[in-house]
Amino acid sequence: MNPAHPLHRRHLLAGGATALAAVGLGGLSRSATAQAASAVPASAGPAAPKPLPAYAAWKDTNSLIVHSSSTLETRRGAFGTSVITPSEQLYIRNNLPPPDASVLADRDAWQISIEGVGQSRTLTLAQLKTLGLDTVATVLQCSGNGRGFFPSKPSGTPWTVGAAGCVVWSGVPVRALVAALGGVNKGLAFMTGTGGEKLPEGVDPKTVVVERSLPLKAMDDAILAWEMNGAPLSLAHGGPLRLVVPGYQGVNNIKYVKRLAFTERESEARIMSHGYRITPPGTKADPSQASVLEMNVKSWINSPLPDSANLKAGFHQIHGVAFGGLSPVKRVEVSVDGGKTWQDARFVGPDLGRFAWRQFVLQARLPAGAHTLISRATDTAGNVQPQERVENLSGYSNNSWADHAVQVVIA
Amino acid sequence: MRVAACVLAGLAWASAAHADDAAKLALGKQLFVRGAVPACAVCHTLKDAGTTGAVGPVLDELKPDATRVATALRNGVGGMPSFAASLSEAQIQALALYVSRASGGTPAR
Repeated sequence: MNPAHPLHRRHLLAGGATALAAVGLGGLSRSATAQAASAVPASAGPAAPKPLPAYAAWKDTNSLIVHSSSTLETRRGAFGTSVITPSEQLYIRNNLPPPDASVLADRDAWQISIEGVGQSRTLTLAQLKTLGLDTVATVLQCSGNGRGFFPSKPSGTPWTVGAAGCVVWSGVPVRALVAALGGVNKGLAFMTGTGGEKLPEGVDPKTVVVERSLPLKAMDDAILAWEMNGAPLSLAHGGPLRLVVPGYQGVNNIKYVKRLAFTERESEARIMSHGYRITPPGTKADPSQASVLEMNVKSWINSPLPDSANLKAGFHQIHGVAFGGLSPVKRVEVSVDGGKTWQDARFVGPDLGRFAWRQFVLQARLPAGAHTLISRATDTAGNVQPQERVENLSGYSNNSWADHAVQVVIA
Repeated sequence: MRVAACVLAGLAWASAAHADDAAKLALGKQLFVRGAVPACAVCHTLKDAGTTGAVGPVLDELKPDATRVATALRNGVGGMPSFAASLSEAQIQALALYVSRASGGTPAR
């Protein structure tokens, strides 16, 4: 064990006075300790955790990091091993404040305009429910998940791994809806969803409206969902109706969807034309750059973690989650030596379909000392999770295995 | 004599810097409330500016430092547009100073 290792020190600090005494730091005089403590003004002490915003007050505060009222992240240590992420623990990222909760008073009355089909028309949620039903488990992940690992410190929430979850949706398949309305009109290349948030006055709507265009093929798997994890869709997650596009980054799953249009061109809304683009560092965002669409192959370890209590030498169940975008994962390897050697992990738990994540576990004997644990996923298309992130201005799509490594110290 | 001159020069510099900051802060506040297009006030709550916009983050909670504000203005963030084409570098710097000070992201000197 290397006493100079920073992780070792962190571990000792977490271990408290006993651990400090064990390495001879217990001799620090009581008055010196008190002085150090009083040097920090009361108001500058560890900031009290921000409260949950009202629309998400039902969430489990202990499982979440509240970055702002629009951005809540699941703690890495809070991810369980039951495949599905409980709604109370699921992250939130809102680009605009949610509509008033009164929109849930009569869910069936919610209206959505369907355009660019044989018989374009406005339908109520009650009518949608008569046109088809499907249930699908998907990974919902903000494209900025992993931004916190970028050394360039891009603007935006510094998520690490917790802007993601695996949830089950129920709703009407878009293809069934489209078939009922006479099919998509010829020559239309995009499926464009528009959110029903209230827009501020005095601003060109295009600069703030949440509107995203996806290639037409995204419609094959998309559903208009009104239920999540067995309950009517909450306001926090886009209720009463959300466009869910399996395999695509979170921003494309339009909350409070009020319009689904098949269009010739991509939306000119700012969030589509300039926002969520993979912009090379040092340049400006523009519509010619790749948009944040399909998710890439990715995995990370959720246990053990640097802050896991009482890590003892011996067997450990190293577990985490792995997923692809449009192709499911077929393999996860785990390294316990910082990436020098790899062993195949085993999938555990039910396979909930190609858009859900898989849990993996590797049983490993870890001796005392510091260990760097890493996972690396491969999807069925042969894509392997890369070692390095692709640098970009806004910190999107980070699937670097090196960034997601965890360092643990075994006593 | 030389010492006194240096002290005076130093004081003059400090006072000029103070005046410069004050001017930047005033410009920043003006841009925040109505000068920028769209005005920051439309989307952001900032107590010092008396604004209650609810589209973007509450800046009193976010407490961004000046670098973070300037980067957001230049590049945009998520749904927030870039202001690089509509604001000068001096205006961006003024807004960054104002927002970071007013929100508590950078302590006032």
